[in-house]
Amino acid sequence: MASPETRSAALLAGLREIAPDYVFHLPSSTLKGILAGLDELGITVHPLTREEEGIGIASGLALAGRKPVLVIQDNGLGNALTALTTFPQAYHIPIFLLVSQRGGLGEYNSMIHTFCERVEPILDAAGIRYFKLDARIPLEEWTPTVTLAHQYMQTTHRPVAVLCNLMAGQ
Amino acid sequence: MTTTTPAAQLSRLAALRATAAAYPTEPFVVAVGTMVREMLIVGRADNHLYVLDSMGLPPAIGLGLCLGLDASHHEKVVVIEGDGGMLMGMSTLATIGLLRPRQLLLIVLDNGVYAATGDQPTAAAAVDFCAAARSCGFASTWSVATEPALQAALAAARREPGPALLHVRITLENAPSTYFLPDPVELTLTFQRYLDGK
Repeated sequence: MASPETRSAALLAGLREIAPDYVFHLPSSTLKGILAGLDELGITVHPLTREEEGIGIASGLALAGRKPVLVIQDNGLGNALTALTTFPQAYHIPIFLLVSQRGGLGEYNSMIHTFCERVEPILDAAGIRYFKLDARIPLEEWTPTVTLAHQYMQTTHRPVAVLCNLMAGQ
Repeated sequence: MTTTTPAAQLSRLAALRATAAAYPTEPFVVAVGTMVREMLIVGRADNHLYVLDSMGLPPAIGLGLCLGLDASHHEKVVVIEGDGGMLMGMSTLATIGLLRPRQLLLIVLDNGVYAATGDQPTAAAAVDFCAAARSCGFASTWSVATEPALQAALAAARREPGPALLHVRITLENAPSTYFLPDPVELTLTFQRYLDGK
C-alpha cells in the first residue's frame, strides 16, 4: 500500500541511483523524509535562500561538470521561473529538480491550491519539461521515473523537473 | 576596511578593463546589460561567461562554479555584478557566507542607477555592500573609487582567500556600445570548452 513514507523511499532510491554530488533545497513539509534520507546516505544537503538562487548555483555546478539536484516545493517554481527560462533553459544547461507537489485531493492547506494546481500549465507554457508522480502512478514506477527523468535531462541538455505528490494528488 | 568611499572617478569601461586584465584566464561571470556590452569593448574572451538576462543570478552562478571546479586548477572565480543586480541577488550573500568558497571574488560596480534602462536610481545609496558581505561571513572586502585603489585591491584579492567582495564606485558614464544578440548556447559551449581545456 503506497503511503507518503513508501513514496519517499521510492524517490530516495531514485536519487541514490543518480548519486548527486550536491543537493540544495528549500524545505517542504512533505519532503522532510527525503531530506533526512539523503542525510543518512551521507549526501550533504545545503539550504537555499530562494529558489532562483538554486537555479543559479545548480547551473554553475552543471557547467563545472557536476551533478546537482534541487529539492523544492512547487510554489517555489514561481520564484524560479525567470531564472529557469532565461538561464539553464536558454543556455542548454541540464539541471534536475525534485519538486514536491501540493494541492489537489488530500491537501489540507487552503491557500496552497491557488498556485500549485496551476504549476503544470505554467511549466508547459514556459517550455520546461516535467514528469509527474502522484497517487495514480503505481509505486513501482516512482524510482525508475526519477532515474529516467535524470537521463532525459542529460540527453536533452535542459532543466527537467519531477513533480511528486506524496500526499495523494490528482 | 574602508566603509566610506570617495566620489567615483572610474568609468565602468575603465573598471572592466582593469578587472579583465587582472584575471585574464580565470572563470569570469559577466552580468546582464551594460556590463556585458562594455566588456565586449574590452574584448571578448573564452573565460568570460556572458549572462544576457537573469538579473541577480551571477553571484549564485559563481558560487556554483566555485563549488564544482577543482580549486587547484581554478584558484579564483570572478563574478562582476552591478549594484542593481547585487541588490536583487542580495540573499545569495548569505549562502556564499555559509559555504565560504575560497576562490570567489565578487566585484560590484556601483553607479547607483539602473544604467541599461535610463539611469533610474537603485537603493544602493542606502547600502554598504562591504558591511553586508562581512556580516554574512565574507573573508575580505574592499571599497574603492580610483584606478590605483582598484589595482591595489585586485592585487590583494589575488593573494587573499575568499569569499571576497570588491566594491567599486563608478561614474554614470556609458561607453557607446551595441546590442549583443548571440544564441546563448554558443556562449555555454565556448565557456565549457574553456573550462575543459584549463
